[in-house]
Amino acid sequence: MGSRAFMVLLSHRGAYINPSANAAQLFLTFGQSPFSPVKIKCLVERRNHRTSHNFSTAANSSLEPPNLPRLAETARISLTPDEVEEFAPKMKQVVDWFGQLQAIDLESIEPAMRADTEDDNSRDDLPQIFENREAIIKAMPSYEEPYIKVPKVLNKE
Amino acid sequence: MLSSIQNPRLLRLSTLHQIPLRCLQTSTTPVPTPSSPQPTSQILRIRKSLLSRETTAVEIAKTFLSRLRRTEPQLKSFLYVSPEDGVLKQAEEIDRRIQNNEELGPLAGVLAGVKDNICTSDMPSTAGSKILENYTPPYDATAVKKLRENGAIIVGKTNLDEFGMGSTTEASGYQVTANPWDLSRVPGGSSGGSAAAVSAQQCAVSLGTDTGGSVRQPASFCGVVGLKPTYGRVSRYGLVAYASSLDVIGCLGSSVADTGIVLQAVSGHDKFDATSSKQGIPNFASQFIPKDYLDSKPLKGLRVGVIRETLVDGVDPDVISSLQRSVSHLEDLGCTISEVSFPSFSLGLPAYYILASSESSSNLARYDGVRFGNQVFADELSTLYGDSRAEGFGSEVKLRILMGTYALSAGYYDAYYKRAQQVRTLVQKSFRAALEENDVLISPAAPSVAYKIGEKKNDPLAMYAGDIMTVNVNLAGLPALVLPCGFVEEGSSVLPVGLQMIGAAFDEESLLKIGHIFEQTLQGYSFVPPLVGDDF
Repeated sequence: MGSRAFMVLLSHRGAYINPSANAAQLFLTFGQSPFSPVKIKCLVERRNHRTSHNFSTAANSSLEPPNLPRLAETARISLTPDEVEEFAPKMKQVVDWFGQLQAIDLESIEPAMRADTEDDNSRDDLPQIFENREAIIKAMPSYEEPYIKVPKVLNKE
Repeated sequence: MLSSIQNPRLLRLSTLHQIPLRCLQTSTTPVPTPSSPQPTSQILRIRKSLLSRETTAVEIAKTFLSRLRRTEPQLKSFLYVSPEDGVLKQAEEIDRRIQNNEELGPLAGVLAGVKDNICTSDMPSTAGSKILENYTPPYDATAVKKLRENGAIIVGKTNLDEFGMGSTTEASGYQVTANPWDLSRVPGGSSGGSAAAVSAQQCAVSLGTDTGGSVRQPASFCGVVGLKPTYGRVSRYGLVAYASSLDVIGCLGSSVADTGIVLQAVSGHDKFDATSSKQGIPNFASQFIPKDYLDSKPLKGLRVGVIRETLVDGVDPDVISSLQRSVSHLEDLGCTISEVSFPSFSLGLPAYYILASSESSSNLARYDGVRFGNQVFADELSTLYGDSRAEGFGSEVKLRILMGTYALSAGYYDAYYKRAQQVRTLVQKSFRAALEENDVLISPAAPSVAYKIGEKKNDPLAMYAGDIMTVNVNLAGLPALVLPCGFVEEGSSVLPVGLQMIGAAFDEESLLKIGHIFEQTLQGYSFVPPLVGDDF
């Protein structure tokens, strides 16, 4: 994903990347464009890095490669343009490596949530007093009794 | 570091006086008399010298603290060191109890380091991350509480890769820890600080955590013993969660006996951790029979399986030689050796990283700058989240959260996370089958000795590849012990190699027994690094 053209559209370092804000951004955001992924590849100048050939592998695996800005929004982490550039090839590399699990036959194998453990070690669902409330309150960055203070929630639409 | 001394440790057993021994014993252990030899164990040695009044807890504490101060500028194992007067006050209290012939816990006078992703209510707990800079938890982790109840003195919080994500401590938000055997090399990770601190004897024992090998690999790199218990053996309450289905708290020490005694202290069901097991805790300490009481073939009849896929191309040939020498040693002790094969062995690594990143993306969602941790000013809530996390998290953590977010996204869950869980089932089945034919399985703890600092930093897959020996054990939730078994020469450095032993679920007892006997009978090695050598 580390295309140079992408960087031009991001306003400034540390900007919150919002794919829905700008139609031009949409155009070149992988996977959100009306064009197919292959056509976008021709439109946008690609950085020359060793994973650039893996786009065809990704198409073959029938799973779309990571859309870094969208993932960053889901994960609530503001990425800088430098970071997008740095992470994209690494993510691509690792995700392709993850892809080897697709090649094995796992038919009829039950997924295991964790190691075999005993059935029910939950305690009774009864409230318990936590002694050290003051320490919890002390750890809050912005507190105005009895509220935890946060900035306003703006509607993106 | 190769010497011809018998004793694997450069510890001198104190001269014996009439001692009312209050050590852990059962009717099955030979009852030590005042003149009987002890197994090599720092904890037992400390206890004996305290009870015999040969030394005081204050003197012991001062020795460790002075060594810590002397070596810390080079090692940087600690993110936080307890103020000296507090440590000495706790030591004085122990001395007072001894004077009054009061009951002493099994860890009385033992200085312990605690990995900084384990909560301590009187010390900052950052999990190695800037997002928790100066954060002090409102409670002690259960494991820490138990250490204290048993008389241990917590000397500080050790360095780690941020949130446990890494294998070298280079991903710490604060500092890189150096390997006491060669300061230009990494101590391993993510419990690199805990391993280095024990190796350099800045503390006697330490707690670490192991999600994909993070206690065992640094133990191997630093030449100390690392014990990963069965998943559920030790409560995770107060452990900063990375991957909840894989995380365990483990013990590091300079001898197998020490790790077993610490495990005894911290194990047990905890009502605050529903994944902690109600399995009874055997008396682990009863396994530590002094060398002189051992038969000539003390492990006769024990079936040991060597995992074939761990001795392949890509593993350092010198590491393989060390393993082969260990196999001979086990044969001398009476073991029957065979080879086992795990066809799905190499799949464990991508499966592990899918599961761990996915679970971490969920576990680290709580670091939003609102209720604790560092908050970046913003005038809109989602920017507050985005920017606080962007500034607080390091690159490796961001990468793993993003990978996990991807693997869990709608449409991808079946392809990645679910398949990884299916691989987990395969791995569990393979181990179960192998452990029916064998009592214990062995492999190297890592494919190489410690790397140079900076060597793997920009290549994630190369870094992940180093975990191949350890991750499958976490997927299966089994216990494993790593102990130093030899050395490799690299240039002008001599670097330790660790042997990994894997046991059946909740069978730490067998691992400790075998490891202890292996260690006590291993001749010709001293695992004390040159940095410490002189005054130890």
